[in-house]
Amino acid sequence: MTMFTHSLLILVVIAAVFALAKKLKLMTELAMLLSAVAAVVAHLLLPKGADPRSPLPFLEIIRHLVEGSMTYLDVCLIFLSATFFMTLYKEAGGVAFIVRGIVKAFHARRFVCLLLLTFIMLVPGAITGSGATTVLTVGALVGAVLKVMGVSENRRVALVFLLAAMSAACPPINLWAMMAAAGANMPYVGFEAPLALLAIAGALFSTYYLAGRGKPVDLEKALAELPEAPAGWRGWKAALPFLVLILLVAAGRIWPFSFPVVGLPLVFMLSSLATVLVSPVKPKVFQVAATTVKNLLGLVGIMIVVGVLNQVMTLTGARGLLSLAVVTLPIAVLFATLWLILPVSEGVLQYAVAPLFGVPLIMLFNMLGFNPVVSLSAWAVMWPVGDCLPPTAIVGRAAVMELDYKGSYYGGFIRAALVPMLFILAISTAAMIFSNDLAGLLGG
Amino acid sequence: MKLKWAKIAVLLVMAACAAVAGFLFHEQRVYREAVAASPHLTQVKKLSDYSPAIKGTVNDCNVYVFDSGVPGGTALLIGGTHAEEPVALVSALVFTENLKVTQGRVFVIHRVNTSASTNTRLGEAYPRFFHVEAPWGVQKWRMGDRVANPLDSWPDPEVYIHYPSGQNLAYMDIRNLNRNWPGKADGLLTERTTFAAMELIRQEGVDLTIDFHEAELEYPVENTIVAHERGNEVAAMTSMMLTSQTFRVPIGMEFSPKALHGLSHREVGDHSDAVSYLFEVAEPMLDRIRGITDEELLMSGKDRFVMKAGEHNLLYAPIDESGWPFDLRIARHVTTAQTLIQVNNMLHPDQAILMEGIPSYQDILDQGTGAFLRDPAAAPPEQVYYD
Repeated sequence: MTMFTHSLLILVVIAAVFALAKKLKLMTELAMLLSAVAAVVAHLLLPKGADPRSPLPFLEIIRHLVEGSMTYLDVCLIFLSATFFMTLYKEAGGVAFIVRGIVKAFHARRFVCLLLLTFIMLVPGAITGSGATTVLTVGALVGAVLKVMGVSENRRVALVFLLAAMSAACPPINLWAMMAAAGANMPYVGFEAPLALLAIAGALFSTYYLAGRGKPVDLEKALAELPEAPAGWRGWKAALPFLVLILLVAAGRIWPFSFPVVGLPLVFMLSSLATVLVSPVKPKVFQVAATTVKNLLGLVGIMIVVGVLNQVMTLTGARGLLSLAVVTLPIAVLFATLWLILPVSEGVLQYAVAPLFGVPLIMLFNMLGFNPVVSLSAWAVMWPVGDCLPPTAIVGRAAVMELDYKGSYYGGFIRAALVPMLFILAISTAAMIFSNDLAGLLGG
Repeated sequence: MKLKWAKIAVLLVMAACAAVAGFLFHEQRVYREAVAASPHLTQVKKLSDYSPAIKGTVNDCNVYVFDSGVPGGTALLIGGTHAEEPVALVSALVFTENLKVTQGRVFVIHRVNTSASTNTRLGEAYPRFFHVEAPWGVQKWRMGDRVANPLDSWPDPEVYIHYPSGQNLAYMDIRNLNRNWPGKADGLLTERTTFAAMELIRQEGVDLTIDFHEAELEYPVENTIVAHERGNEVAAMTSMMLTSQTFRVPIGMEFSPKALHGLSHREVGDHSDAVSYLFEVAEPMLDRIRGITDEELLMSGKDRFVMKAGEHNLLYAPIDESGWPFDLRIARHVTTAQTLIQVNNMLHPDQAILMEGIPSYQDILDQGTGAFLRDPAAAPPEQVYYD
């Protein structure tokens, strides 16, 4: 048996055990963990090819499993702290106050209101690089406004997801581009224009396609239906926690050499503290913390297990085989399939796909004479589109959770999002194919 | 009731796994790497002797000093910038354990980013240690990460803005030592480390620095000397000599890009009088398209998936059945460093550094790296140090 066959069989074992576990009604997280463990067992049992290999002691297997589980620890901390902040803000009545304010101000101006909502959604992801952070901080707020504007449940959750995905793609922070560029030793320079062009075009198309049309808002009816904000909220009070958030993040950019590195988890906790201080009612902090952890267990669990699976796939050669399979495809086939490969792989591995596929693809495209900055920007806009796909579906699941969506995940939510998703993938594919022309136009 | 016991059982299994892994992580973090230094070593200093910025931190590494007492040039050899590139560490070590300087001075650092060697790279499934067989036994070192351990430097900023250029880089690069030159006295751990190293270079009047690295075969900067513009002539002549006379696979020479900040070959040359060079050699274990990841791959440098990519012309270095073995990679780095210093002696006689005791390219290939490592247990205690 060659190493190719070995790694291929590992992939088969992973897929088979996952499918079997799902058939037995196990949770996705447990199904993935079992497939990772099965992959290690298969790795130990199957011949590994002609070349000599090092022994893999039992204790080292445990070390690999635990080490892999730490891969996305930072991301999990951000999820937890961001959700805690927004849940606290919601509990204090801040969300109700802002939503009522937006509805009062913009009920007669749908176009402007949608533009404002798009901007509100793009900012958190653009500065943190995380679509889940966008959903967890402003998703519920925007979803509530969209509901008042008469946007259907399916379209609401689809739009919140798509704007979150585009916010993650939006510059200045695009983690996929940054990780792939770092892996290829490229400076993260020149990405702003192509990323902004593709992400903003995708966001605006999504907004006006999904929510552009609708009946005028009946202000009185809408205000009657919206929850009342507790007395005592004022504009400055509602803005203060977000100002703390924006100022702490912006300060790191404005004074990078003198302002201390705070870290997003602490930034969100300080914003939470500001919420407690300005709130006219006393929020139940410990209850909110407990609810936050409970609600996010699935999301955090999947990130932990994805890390384990990634480590096991690397150990066994399965990850390398996938990467090799992609980069050895003929270029025409790559152009025809990357729009599918990238989102699907994102659904499986999350940010880990950026160095896995991104680095060899950069080398390949560079070698073939395509502009690597524009090409990587195009991929970095396609990847987050896959954040609603199984098995992880991190941002999709967060949108469902935040908007309390009760409809069908695939038949309702994904179906509604399909046209804008295809639009984003189409313009990104075009940007990749014409990367040199686009680079010329953008001054790259 | 059954579910309750099942949950308790799962919790106990997880706790046991965490305890086992915790023990192994701790073992790697505290493992001391023995160095049996050459009898001709003059002095061992700490990097904090040059700047208090890193005093008391894990990155306050040893600086091995070989001073002939005869006026001449001064060179600094840097290993361990990226702890996942172990040939960089051992190449520097071959100098420390064998060197005799008869003119000028040589400074050697093995673990410039010690923190990075105290954990492995998440998701890359690296072994925790690697081993080299020597005539007297087996020598063992930590196999680390590309960047500093988050236990020593955390949290990262959302985006890393390089000092002083203002260039944006990925957040984790704040812990990547070769994105943090020339450093910052009050910055984070890696910024403070490079600041202290720059102080060493400035205070000791170093003439040339050599930063040892390894690179994936998919990476275009491969099997090469990257040189600051003031070192182009020396690097070009070294490359020509080695390619025509010694190496089977040629070694190239590249100009340090002026727009790419934070790297030693750019910033050391820009912020001191030293001329900065960086050496790269092929290491298949760093390729994302590699197959099974284990110590065997690290040492043999032989991978079927990488070879398949070569058949598709996707690589910047050749690879065949013989792979890129550890000894070959060491031999290239050690020989390139010696040759570059010799060429520098020719072109800049006022900076002459004369060295003895370093094995030749063929010696290392024939006898293996282990033949040039000294047994710490047999060496006089005053010659044994720990990184």
